[in-house]
Amino acid sequence: MAISKGKELRPGLWETVNERYPGSMITKTDFVPLVKLSKPLGEARLAFISTAGIQPKGTLPFDTVHPVGDYTFRRVPSDSKPAELEIHQLKYPTFGANRDLNVIFPIERLQELTNERVIGSLTKNFYSFIGYNMDPERLERTLAEDIADAVEAENADLALLAPA
Amino acid sequence: MSLAYLKDAIKEGDSEKLIRYVRLHFGDGNEERGAKEINKAWIEALKPMLEIPATDREFILQTLAEKDTATLAHLFFHLHFYFVGRSGEWIHDGNL
Amino acid sequence: MMGHHFGVPFHEELQKRIIRTALSRITEAEKSGDIYLFPMTWAEARLEGKEIEKKLGIAP
Repeated sequence: MAISKGKELRPGLWETVNERYPGSMITKTDFVPLVKLSKPLGEARLAFISTAGIQPKGTLPFDTVHPVGDYTFRRVPSDSKPAELEIHQLKYPTFGANRDLNVIFPIERLQELTNERVIGSLTKNFYSFIGYNMDPERLERTLAEDIADAVEAENADLALLAPA
Repeated sequence: MSLAYLKDAIKEGDSEKLIRYVRLHFGDGNEERGAKEINKAWIEALKPMLEIPATDREFILQTLAEKDTATLAHLFFHLHFYFVGRSGEWIHDGNL
Repeated sequence: MMGHHFGVPFHEELQKRIIRTALSRITEAEKSGDIYLFPMTWAEARLEGKEIEKKLGIAP
């Protein structure tokens, strides 16, 4: 079922969140214009971007303790196996992901969909960061811009964004 | 809470707003739980000291003398999570 | 459910179906900002996941 924009799934939720975390919810009244894919999905290159705090083992862990958040991202090679990756994020339940990473970072499913030619190809890297960031301006100015540049440099035709 | 909200609170000297933020951060949006988490961290920090074991005071004093305040503050947050994690009862254990 | 946006552990078919549904919005969404509700409840997903884990012999 599709719901038109501007309608909240749970009316009043944002007010409740703002009461608890004053100033944390930003109301967006403008939307990025809908752009149609320039080629069939089966020929397109897909980038995956996630706030799940996934990173290759051995890379500097995301800063999960900082009171204002971590504004860095990690490149996750799209041909990685789940065993080569780890989660550094405290703010969402990871009991499912600890058993099967694909519930939050479906890297194996995306690899399979590519092998099945549903998706043309994957960018060399996927991108991950942590969603606990209290400075939306910095988030937009640095993290979002940097990831957008990196995705563009990998010649992605589309990006799938998933929160955690 | 937004960063602007916190900066305003510092400017206005509104410590209630600031401690509320810290509790919400440690308590995953629940102030009461956050306050308990802070207490737990202190209890866990107290426990290993009761037998008065030898500790690396040189390291501590050198760190306090040489590191900048922001790094020490960051370390303080790390220590909170470290000690709460040791308590065996941690709200950030992945089950939320 | 938070932390489980692509379904439940080991339910590969569901995980793939969620991705395919998300990608289908690129061609099927009428407007930017449209929200699509996936036609399955969390309870149903969890039930199917439990059955799969039982069959795989990995039920916790």
